[in-house]
Amino acid sequence: MEQWVVVSIIIAAYLALTLTIGLLAGRKQSDSVTGYVAADRSFGLLVMYFVTGASVFSAFAFLGGPGWAYSRGAAAFYILAYGALGMAPFYWVGPRAAALGRKHGYVTQAQLVVGRFPSRGLSASLALLSLVAFVPYITLQMRGAGIVIEEVTDGNVPLWLGSLLAYGIVVVYVLRSGAMAVGWTNTFQGVFMVVIAWALGLYLPFRLYGGIRPMFEQIAAARPELLVPPGLTATGDPWSWGAYSTFILVSIIGLMMWPHLFMKAFTAKDDDTMRRTVILFPTFQLFLIPVFLIGFSGVLFAGEPQAPDYILPFMILETGLPAIVVGLFCAGALSASMSTGDALLHASASVVVEDGVNHFVELTDNQQRTLMRVLVFLTGAVAYYFALDPDSSLVLLLASAYGIISQFAPPVIASMYWRRATTSGVVAGLLAGTATALFFYLNPEQKPYDMHEGILGLIVHIPMLIAVSLSTPAQSDEHLEGFFS
Amino acid sequence: MSLQAARALTGAYLVLATFFVTWPGLVPFARIEPFILGLPFSMVWIAGWIAGCVPVLYALDRVERLHREGDEEGPPGLGQAPAPPDGEAD
Repeated sequence: MEQWVVVSIIIAAYLALTLTIGLLAGRKQSDSVTGYVAADRSFGLLVMYFVTGASVFSAFAFLGGPGWAYSRGAAAFYILAYGALGMAPFYWVGPRAAALGRKHGYVTQAQLVVGRFPSRGLSASLALLSLVAFVPYITLQMRGAGIVIEEVTDGNVPLWLGSLLAYGIVVVYVLRSGAMAVGWTNTFQGVFMVVIAWALGLYLPFRLYGGIRPMFEQIAAARPELLVPPGLTATGDPWSWGAYSTFILVSIIGLMMWPHLFMKAFTAKDDDTMRRTVILFPTFQLFLIPVFLIGFSGVLFAGEPQAPDYILPFMILETGLPAIVVGLFCAGALSASMSTGDALLHASASVVVEDGVNHFVELTDNQQRTLMRVLVFLTGAVAYYFALDPDSSLVLLLASAYGIISQFAPPVIASMYWRRATTSGVVAGLLAGTATALFFYLNPEQKPYDMHEGILGLIVHIPMLIAVSLSTPAQSDEHLEGFFS
Repeated sequence: MSLQAARALTGAYLVLATFFVTWPGLVPFARIEPFILGLPFSMVWIAGWIAGCVPVLYALDRVERLHREGDEEGPPGLGQAPAPPDGEAD
């Protein structure tokens, strides 16, 4: 049997298994909006750990991580640095958000912000900004899945079909089972990813160089600039410390503000589950080490992939691994892509309905659920359209997505921790911060010290929030008591 | 250990970690040698700060848990973070 046929059979089996788990997961969930969006707040430690880990690790980490290590060297270490630090404050923020969620029935983070700062416009803005940040993110996951399938099947399953197949399955189980499906499939996919990454990350250096240290010694002799932070830019010039450091900072601040991650606070069964997830999360982060090893193993390897992001499938095919291993790897990469993609699709639909539409139109519980399902389908279709039409500006948009998402941090933190903050202050801060980030995104040559536009946005955002809040009347004690106590 | 001290120490660790994995804290450690477990030094340096989060957060959790058990009547979650009420120190 030809190799690509064996590989296709393994992929098909993997996809069938994911679909089964996804569909079975929804059977016990209640038929309500809380059930669909927040899985009846029922996730235990194992599921929470993998849901969080697997939704953070996307095709970006699994394909982009090795791609960065391969082409930009130590610049990739930024991905290693931010995750655990971005997650740690959630030890306190998560349970507090969860308590407010239980008290007021919130299932999205904008509901939390607007519960404290009542404003339909604010809610709609947060929903819109989330969607703007989500679509390119989903598109990249879809392309990642398509690229992997196309590569390892020698082009017999083209990108359009691979993406369609993988995401057709995601859409089906998200439509059918909501948050519960996302939880259980991510547990399965998370285990799969970790095992595949460690196995390959250790195998390739030993196979090609006789060990990890010999590999790095050879790279240090031939291309030492790759092993010293801040590494290189995409074009091979030295990367600036300003960009390297602010990429880490903006990711630390932005990480938990992604609606699909923040909403985990509302899906956890109890606060202890959430706290333990935070404590254990750095162990998930260390799984980037083998991912980087895979990328570094390609540096001195003869031959070149068509683009750095293809380095992983390229290495697998070029080192003559048996078909079954190629198939399993492919399933691991699909796991990374799909486990983030499903969470993103689910969250984008929930956010648009709960935070956008709901504030302007009266809908019954049933209508909301139907509308969410329509939106999962529509968002998937839009992202698929972009995935087929590779437009380099989408990659740029993704880099900028953190610029948008990090602007959510001041309103969210102010809503839970700063009693003197006012609605005008939050709105003014959000507008000023987003406008600043957008300006520097469009005029990158103007950035001071090559800093990330998200950080520049926050430098304007936070003082604006504080100044306007202090110069407008404080919220009434009655409102504050109703919200907090 | 008091709750405030545990929280302050955890916060300090997180701030220090952020400092040492970015400019300027990372500059003196941005080098290849010595290799540790076969990996370049800067990679192990960053991974070490990340791995260190686990025991630090675990220790914090132990202290927080002790204080929660002694304070069962309070509403769960709310009012526990991050500004503790006065007189919590033991």
